Amino acid sequence: MLKADAVCVGYGEALALSNISFDLGPGELVAIIGPNGAGKTTLVNALARLLPIRSGGILLDGENIARLTPQQLADRGVAIIPEGRRLFTSMTVEENLELGCYRAAARAHKREGLEQAYAMFPILGERRRQISGTLSGGQQQMVAFARALMARPRLLLIDEPSLGLAPVIIKQVFETIARIHATGVSILLIEQNATKALEAAQRAYVLDCGQMIASGTPDELRQRPEIGAAYLGHGH
Amino acid sequence: MSATLFGQSVLSGIFAGSLYALMGLGMSLSWRYLRVINIAHFGLVFLAAYMTYEFAGVRGFSALAVALLLIPLFFMLGVIQQVLILRFNVNEFSSLIVTYGLAIIAEAVIQLIWSADFVRYENRALHGNVEVGTLLLPMADILLVVIAVGLCVATWAAMRFTWLGKALRAGLDNPAIAAAFGVPNQRLLLLVSGFSAALAAVAGVFVALLYTLAPSQILSWLGVVFAAVLLGGLGNPLGLLAAGMLIGVSEAITMAVTAPSWAPVVPFTILILLLVLWPQRV
Repeated sequence: MLKADAVCVGYGEALALSNISFDLGPGELVAIIGPNGAGKTTLVNALARLLPIRSGGILLDGENIARLTPQQLADRGVAIIPEGRRLFTSMTVEENLELGCYRAAARAHKREGLEQAYAMFPILGERRRQISGTLSGGQQQMVAFARALMARPRLLLIDEPSLGLAPVIIKQVFETIARIHATGVSILLIEQNATKALEAAQRAYVLDCGQMIASGTPDELRQRPEIGAAYLGHGH
Repeated sequence: MSATLFGQSVLSGIFAGSLYALMGLGMSLSWRYLRVINIAHFGLVFLAAYMTYEFAGVRGFSALAVALLLIPLFFMLGVIQQVLILRFNVNEFSSLIVTYGLAIIAEAVIQLIWSADFVRYENRALHGNVEVGTLLLPMADILLVVIAVGLCVATWAAMRFTWLGKALRAGLDNPAIAAAFGVPNQRLLLLVSGFSAALAAVAGVFVALLYTLAPSQILSWLGVVFAAVLLGGLGNPLGLLAAGMLIGVSEAITMAVTAPSWAPVVPFTILILLLVLWPQRV
């Protein structure tokens, strides 16, 4: 479904990502793990077309999307749950969700989408008139998830969903990801919390210093000593 | 002060305040959503006023027809102005200087075509008055209040309830993420600049209906409209309407109890108090 081929992204002279290749099949949940500063968020922003790509191709169902605008990408059914939530903080919870289905194809499903979102996250239904910037971090993450689901995505890009959240909330976040995945949505999960990400994913890639250094199933990756030591905290 | 004088002062304050709000609406929107402090707005207002004078007054076309032609024309002018502002990367504070320059150009163009002399457009259809008890309400002023209140309320409702308004607010909060959900930020901003210039056209028609025109007066509205825009809150049409009325009525009462020359003290006193006591509002 999604295939990146030798993607390079750079800020000025420096390359933030060099020769990144990976693929994600329909309905698959693939994780990209790696330490802080590895280039994970740069990769998400490049995939979402929020950053220019210097070279390489990104194929979505065979179409090269490397030069599309973010709006054109949204029209192709890709939605993002960005790092740090990045809600429309001066707007209400419900307005945030409505913006999720802004594009013409999704608008028709607004009412149904809101009902599903409030069924999934009842607290958001109670707080639909509250300004989203005043919610707790966990609730803001729920809004970010619900907003993306309002777009009825085929492919969901989830960037660091556990960042800055308490362990009990992180557990809920990963349960939510599993529920969304069970409905058939393909998911690319970018996550620093490698332990959690490998529990959730079917396959994973390891990104470090702007390069893909390993890939495989979670079990394979866990068994590789250098990965376990560096990213999973196994030690020795 | 007699009740009639007081009542008439309040009324004339409401009329003036409506015009402040009508002139300020486009400014307020472009300041908030485009980050352009658009002094050229006043140039457009007077250009529309002079065109109303020329086509409805001198050449005898119907004022309504002129207004309906000016609105799309000015919409285009607003879009062109914003395209240039984006093209040359003009930021919020340099926009103050750039658009001031545009206002000066507008003044020069008006002076070139219509001379520096005063001109006056007499509209017979709106010449009459409505009498309510001892109070006198000119028809043109009544129309002004209706249009100004109508446009402010409609703009507020559009920003609050429509897809367009929500997309604009989302784009202001977080343009990249709004784009990722399909919001065409750039096109919406051009729409705002076009709409704001179209509002300048509407305000201009009323300036022509109500005032004697001279090119030197273009920037005489600047201070009071600025005060109303800031007091009302940027991009807040209902706040602007209330602020315009407050300033208009305070000015009118000041004029009635002291002398007309004291009127300009009012908006600036309010503005200074606002900046001192409630700076986060601005």
